Amino acid sequence: MAQSSQPTRKRKGILGALALVAIAIGLFWSLVVAPPDAYQGDAQRIMYLHLPSILTAYLSYFLVFVGSAMYLWKREKRDDLLAHSAAEIGVLFTALTIIEGSIWGRPTWGVWWTWDARLTLTAILLLIYVGYLMLRSLTEDENRAASAAAVLGIIGFLDIPLIHMSVYWWRTLHQPPSILRPDKVPWENVHPSMLTALAISFAAFLLLYFYLLSLRYRLGEMREEIKARRLGREA
Amino acid sequence: MGAWGFVSLAYGIVWGSILVYVVLLKRRYGDAAAELAALKSTEAISRDAEK
Repeated sequence: MAQSSQPTRKRKGILGALALVAIAIGLFWSLVVAPPDAYQGDAQRIMYLHLPSILTAYLSYFLVFVGSAMYLWKREKRDDLLAHSAAEIGVLFTALTIIEGSIWGRPTWGVWWTWDARLTLTAILLLIYVGYLMLRSLTEDENRAASAAAVLGIIGFLDIPLIHMSVYWWRTLHQPPSILRPDKVPWENVHPSMLTALAISFAAFLLLYFYLLSLRYRLGEMREEIKARRLGREA
Repeated sequence: MGAWGFVSLAYGIVWGSILVYVVLLKRRYGDAAAELAALKSTEAISRDAEK
């Protein structure tokens, strides 16, 4: 594996800078430009963090799913590296989603936590991927750990459709979707400034996510190279 | 706590946690890069000595 080339480092730098700019614009739009919600008031501004962070976590677990499936099929280390890197960042964004949701729940529902179907399934999602990371760090045989983690990564992804459909299947405190509704276009339902704030925040989270993923993936590559070189010296 | 208190708490925790993760990730990245560079230079020295 080659060391990160100059253009690759430059691309990472540009991605990081773009993420920073998008975060700054997103914060300004979410906290200053967007109007308060008619019912929830300013507490609704937490939505500009909550929705992008859970969507970013879903994207991350989708990449874990793809990387895991590819690893089980082709046994290529790069697929396992992708899955491992994405799982670590996915856990971060899922944990943040639960914390934001809890803080948002207090002024709107009157409680920090309730065993609502969507909350419970999201907590299970977090536990599955914390388990995925623990499995990797506690199993000594790396190939066995990668295979077992890949199976868990695929099974864990099945929780996401359940989380999405939970608001339809069970009676929950979470409302059904306001933006992506089959019967209405988004701007009929939500103020355009709120939609813009959400779009900018989502773009900022995506840029940040790919910046973090590129760093984490490269870190994994370097660790593999260190291991290979050490083994080569011992042989 | 008022609405802005909850908003500040959420934004503070989220961006604070992400910042801590970025710093820790950069540190892990830097440590691995330094270790790899050291290994490469040791290998280069050994190769030169063999010649």
